Formats: sequence, C-alpha cells, structure tokens
Amino acid sequence: MSATDNASTFLALADFLIPAHGAMPRFSEVCTFDDALRSLDFRIDLKEGFARGVAVDVSSGVEPTLETLNAGDGPAFSAVSTIALATYYMNPRVRELIGYPGQENVTYDSKATQSYLTDGSLAKVIARGRKYRPTPGL
Amino acid sequence: MTVEDIGRRDSRPRRDEEVDVVIVGAGPSGSVAALHLARAGFSVTVLEQGVWPDYADYTGARPEHELVSTKLWHPNPNVRDNPHDYPVDNSTTDINPLMFAGVGGSATLYGAQWMHFLPSDFRVRSLDGVAEDWPLSYEDLLPFQLEIEREVGVSGLGGDPAFPPRGPYPFPALPMGSVGQRGALGMERMGWHWWPGSNAIPSEKFGELNPCVRRGTCLTGCPEGAKSTTDRSHWPLAIKAGARLVTEARVKEIEVDANGMATGVVYVDANGRDRRQRAKVVILCANGVGTPRLLLMSGGSRHPDGLANSSGLVGKRLMMHPFASVLASYEDPLDSWRGPFGQQVYSLEFYETDESRGFVRGSKWNCMPSGGPVGVSGAIGSKVYVAEEGRFQDFWGANLHENVARRFGHSLIWGIVGEDLPEESNQVVLSKDLVDSDGLPAPQIVYKVNENSKRLLQFNIDRCLESVRAAGAIETLVSTPVRESGWHLIGTTVMGADPKKSVVDQWGATHDVPNLYVLDASTFPTSGATNPTATIMALALRNTRRLIAERRNQKVA
Repeated sequence: MSATDNASTFLALADFLIPAHGAMPRFSEVCTFDDALRSLDFRIDLKEGFARGVAVDVSSGVEPTLETLNAGDGPAFSAVSTIALATYYMNPRVRELIGYPGQENVTYDSKATQSYLTDGSLAKVIARGRKYRPTPGL
Repeated sequence: MTVEDIGRRDSRPRRDEEVDVVIVGAGPSGSVAALHLARAGFSVTVLEQGVWPDYADYTGARPEHELVSTKLWHPNPNVRDNPHDYPVDNSTTDINPLMFAGVGGSATLYGAQWMHFLPSDFRVRSLDGVAEDWPLSYEDLLPFQLEIEREVGVSGLGGDPAFPPRGPYPFPALPMGSVGQRGALGMERMGWHWWPGSNAIPSEKFGELNPCVRRGTCLTGCPEGAKSTTDRSHWPLAIKAGARLVTEARVKEIEVDANGMATGVVYVDANGRDRRQRAKVVILCANGVGTPRLLLMSGGSRHPDGLANSSGLVGKRLMMHPFASVLASYEDPLDSWRGPFGQQVYSLEFYETDESRGFVRGSKWNCMPSGGPVGVSGAIGSKVYVAEEGRFQDFWGANLHENVARRFGHSLIWGIVGEDLPEESNQVVLSKDLVDSDGLPAPQIVYKVNENSKRLLQFNIDRCLESVRAAGAIETLVSTPVRESGWHLIGTTVMGADPKKSVVDQWGATHDVPNLYVLDASTFPTSGATNPTATIMALALRNTRRLIAERRNQKVA
C-alpha cells in the first residue's frame, strides 16, 4: 500500500471520527496527513498500531471498517483515533474555535485579598464550628 | 548552587568506602533524611534508581502536551515503560499502584496537594474501634509538620476549623479560580465544609522554586519549576551540606553480617555492574511497594521470608486509598484548564466517622480543574469516565464535538479520597514471572477494595452529586473506584511497639535489624484519608532528628 493510500485511508477514518458539526470543521478541513505524522513522532509507541490502522481496506465503508478495527485490533484503533484527536485539538484554528489558549501562564497578585475573605462565604464555614475530633485524653 | 549546577554532576562513591548512612531512594522522605543527616555531619550516600529530572522534558507549555503526557508522564510505570522504573505485576489488584523513579521521587507526578493528617488519624482504635492507634499523636508530629512546610514552601490559608489551631502557612493560598469558586458554591449551598486549597506550590519565589503561574500541568511535571519537589527544595541544600547522590543505582539487596546487623547494600550501577555500598546505617525510602520489595529480596538463606520479617508482616497491610471522582459540567465558563491542578478547594465534611452511614472512617474531597479538550473528550487520553466496552460511536462523530463543547472549559472534578483500612490479605509479594530491566523480581500487588471502602465511596459520591447539582451542574460523570489511582502506597512495614505485630518501631528502626530503618509511608499503621506526602516528610524529619540525637547509642555492625 502506498503512502498516498495510507494518507487517503487515514483522512477518511479521521473525518468519520471527527466530522463537521456546527461551527466545528471536519478533520481534513484543518489538518493534513503530514500533521498526523508529526504528532506520531511524539508517540513512537503508537507507530506500529497506526501503520496497521491506516493499511485497512475501507471499500466496504468507513463505519464498518472502524467497527471491525475496534473489535479486532484495539491498539490499531486506539493509535489512529488518538493521533486524529490530538492532532485536531493541537490545531490553532480548532483551539480558537473552542476558546483554548493552551495550558497558559496566568499572572496574579499573591498578596491580593481573595473574595472569599470579604464576601462572607468563608466566614460561614468558620461559623459552623469545629469539625475535627481531638486526640483523646488531651 | 542551583539545580542546573548540580543536575549533571557525577558523584560516585570510592571503592570500599564505608559511609555513616546509605539511603535508598531520593524521593520526599529520602531527601529530608539526606539533608538533615548531612547537615548534622553524617557522611551520607543516597542511591536512586532514576535520574535527575530534565525540565525541558515537561511539555505542559507546549501544544503536544496532552498527547505526550498520556505516555511519557503517565503515573503507571507499566504504561510509561521507562527503564529506570521497575514493572509491577497488576494481575491481582483492583487498583494499580502509581509511582515514578527519579530524584524527587513519585512527587514528580503528584498534584502537590498538601494535607496533614488529623488528630483522629492517629487514634482510630481508641475512637472507632478499628485497626491500631499510632505510637505517636497528632501533637507529637505537628512541630515537624510546621517545620517541613517551611522547607517545602507550602501555600495555604490557616484557620480551617477542620483542624486544630496550627498557625499560618509559609505562603498565601494560590488563587481558587472559577473552578474552585464553583466547587465552593455547591458546598456552601449544602452547608458543608470547604476551604481554599493548601498546596506544595509556593505562590511566591522561594529558593529554587519559582512562583506558580497556574499552568495546570502539575500531574505531568511542572515546566515552571514551581511545584515543590525535592530535586529543587532539598537536594541543592543537601549536596551543599555534603550528601552524595548516586543516580541510576538500583539497590538489589541489603547485606547483613553474622550478628544480623546491616552492613550496607548491593546495587546495580548505570553500566549494569554490581557494586557494594558499605554503611553503618541503612535507611529505606523506596515507597510502600519498593521498600517491602527490597526487604523481601534481601536476607539470603538465613532469612528465606525476607529481611526484618520475623513478624511476617513485610509487604502486608498495603493501603492505597480507593478513589472516586465526579466530573460536573456547568453552563458558565470556568476556564477549567487553569491550575493549580491539585486542589483549588478541599472539603473535610465527611472525614470523621458517623456510624449511621454504614461504614467507619471517612473521606477527603479535592476540587480540581478538568484539563484540556483531549482529556475531557471521553474518547481517549483519560478513559476514566468511559466504559471500555462502550460503542465507539458514543464518543466520536457529533458526540465528540458535543461532549467537548459541554465539558471543555466548563467542568470541574471532585476527587474523593477514602480512608483505606489495613488488611493483611492486601499485600506486596515478589512476582514469580515478571522481572525488571536488571533481572530482579518485580513486585506483585494483591489487593481488593474492601466492603467498607465500597460503602464509603458510594456514600460520598451520592453526597458529591448533591453538591455539584446544588451549584447548577448540567452533566455529571462518576468513576469509582478509579483503577489508575494508587498514588498513595502505605502500610507495608507497619510501625508498632510489639515486634510480633509490627516491622519497625515508632522511630522507623526495624525490630529485627537495629541499624536498618524505614522512613517512608510503609510504616504508617493506618492511612488516614488525606494525601500522605505531608505526613511522610514530617515523619521522616522527626525520625531523622531522633537518629541524629541518638547517634552515640546507635548499634552498628
């Protein structure tokens, strides 16, 4: 099977797993097979399963092919779906659409008075009194 | 001296050198012991099977983070498949033990939730008629608890009525964020206890630790160097004080002489060669699985059941804190990828025994963000909320987009830690089939979640669902018990006064071998329901101080 065939198969599988829905694009609208291969470089443990997964024959239809793959070769299904999902949510346009800046750096003032100290919420906890059982005999 | 200065320093013992103390393991307890012994003038060598962390390997700030961390930084060593770890035979356990080999130990992958035990945790027999009391009290340990918090750089807010008065934390509490505020709202509407989270993450610059920037990737290594792990909090100081740290050194046996005294250890070095480190005192700090494993591998023909095991209790009474989690989604945005991850809020509402509930002892809850889109998708990454046998279509296609839209940025997770009662049938044994990369037998875990834990978790899940719904949850997902949740490895060399019923005394010295100590959570008679690292480090400090004070009376080979 050629690299082109593998790419075509992967994109067909990925588009079934991640179709267009509402404002969200399908996988192949925003990601390429090369993007998936770059993701795979981060997870070399998935390469064997991925290779089996993209070598399947999809002529009987994508959904039955995925059903068969999931039932018969879980590691291959997991490799293909993991790479598709991670590649999709690493894509900048997808991240923009779902409002995800990544695991960002957030600055804050460590000495700022927290709202729970002034809005009375923590005072209610304190007012409910002691929760612990003391050491017997003390 | 900085972490970067010492990170690659070679430090090999001289051949046939005898040191005062050899410590096995450079995690939380071993690091505390090494620092304080070295400062007191002891010659100290620490043998660590892993390596120094390379902070460039922590991917939290990079786009590929969720993809990489589910393998490279997975807490299960069998999934991580790193040659520095040993594999674990999990074929006979309900819960997988989680751990990490390296300088800093398993805390490298902890959430940094900093909770010390409560007074009742030390008196479960007296108060609740189960298990055993500890040979020390909350009040005995508190001074060491407060001292170790200053070494670690803990942030938190004092005044919690769930604890006896204890004074302030070294640093102000980290911001709660929208996740913590929503978690607290549910608890407040129920009239239940909650408190801003205390974490081993300084909110301000402290020594080698940088202030937290709420990256939210605490569980997979902190790329900021903000989460307190002992490679930053203790090792620069310990090495400056003269402690020697040998990495890629896997200890295979504790040696004893004809009089039954420990003489040192044999370890496999980075080149696969056996080496011997002679020592007057041997201290084990290899966690509740690694420590009994090493004792069971030691002793030779004179101790066929393992070293320091005349009680027959080495490896037994394993406790791992059965854990449940509740994910709750809300209409409002909660920015739920932001940290701190460990605990923005905690609750001890159901910590103490109430017999009307049908079980003894209790639980601690911690409110955490739910993370990135891959993790909350329900498709891969975290399969915590996904039935393995479910149809794949339930999590893909339009359902994927709808699940992510509903949960990502809009959800929180309450983690429920239940106290685990000791049972001798729950234990660490040596695998007959599985070996590590040096051919040493892997540990096998034999563990069943008991009926008390099942009732405890179900009660707490029901209460948690009430709380999150009171705060407006539109979707809830429950997982119990979470199989990949054995972060807390406790109880496998129990402490006590009677050598027939315990392995070590209250100072960590084994009854059978007076110059062999255990200073990790293996010694805990009971597990409490809080995250144990605070108690591990405080107890290690207390027992190290005792060893220093009694140095002239210490029996040696």
